[in-house]
Amino acid sequence: MSDAASAVLPHDGRTEPRPTVKLLPDGVMGMLLFVFTEAMLFAGLISAHTIVKSGAAGQMWPPFGQPRLPVEETALNTAALLMSGIVLVFAQLAYRRRASRALGPLLVSVVLGMFFVVFQGVEWVALIGEGLTLQSSSYGGFFYLIVGTHAVHAIGAIACLAWAWLRLRAGRLTPAQFGTVQVLWYFVVLVWPVLYLRVYL
Amino acid sequence: MTARKWLPVLALVLVAAFPDQAHACAVCFDPRAENRFAFLATTVFLSLFPLSLVGGVGLWLRRRARELYGPSSGGDETDFVER
Repeated sequence: MSDAASAVLPHDGRTEPRPTVKLLPDGVMGMLLFVFTEAMLFAGLISAHTIVKSGAAGQMWPPFGQPRLPVEETALNTAALLMSGIVLVFAQLAYRRRASRALGPLLVSVVLGMFFVVFQGVEWVALIGEGLTLQSSSYGGFFYLIVGTHAVHAIGAIACLAWAWLRLRAGRLTPAQFGTVQVLWYFVVLVWPVLYLRVYL
Repeated sequence: MTARKWLPVLALVLVAAFPDQAHACAVCFDPRAENRFAFLATTVFLSLFPLSLVGGVGLWLRRRARELYGPSSGGDETDFVER
């Protein structure tokens, strides 16, 4: 019998469970549940978009007179976001070896994420200038709703990544905290290609 | 049971037998086949997606529990220490 098990032995003859290792840290589990609800939000938005697109008048999508979305430029931006996710994997691997080694890759991941959001902002300004607004058509409405919802998630996740980086620099980032932040960022990264395929192409 | 008591049952059967007459939503019953297919496909997607999410994590947790508490690890989560 191990010392750990002996330490929990009661003195009244009853049996007690032996100490167990947690399957998942509480933070990661909580973030997973949050991500599931957000995944359903995006699933609903994509479904609504699919139905409206299929029922578009004259099967014209984008509708007549509406500007086309910048497919090629956004493909580049998509690559930057995917790269950010890959760099975060490297950050995790480095963190396992020695925590301080993750500082560089984590910062690169944050910067690539910020690039993605800023690029989106520039894209939006150009599209608004071309006449695509929330009210211009259901095409514009869905575009800003879906992409905007993702952008809000991206900004929140970047803030979490930056918070993790600051804690890591101070030597106070725990593996559970790092795992929790990673779950959110991987969600933001992985949901985007789906949105890109459905909304842009 | 009198014939009058059977009337609600008969009405229910008639409604069930003619579901097309009960369609009220223009999206759910669009004359265009493409739109009807999109509605069906998204209904299936929205029905199965949450189940696959929860099921996937459930299976993953089960596998992880086996790794942590399985026979090779020397015990499981229901393993009680007796004095």
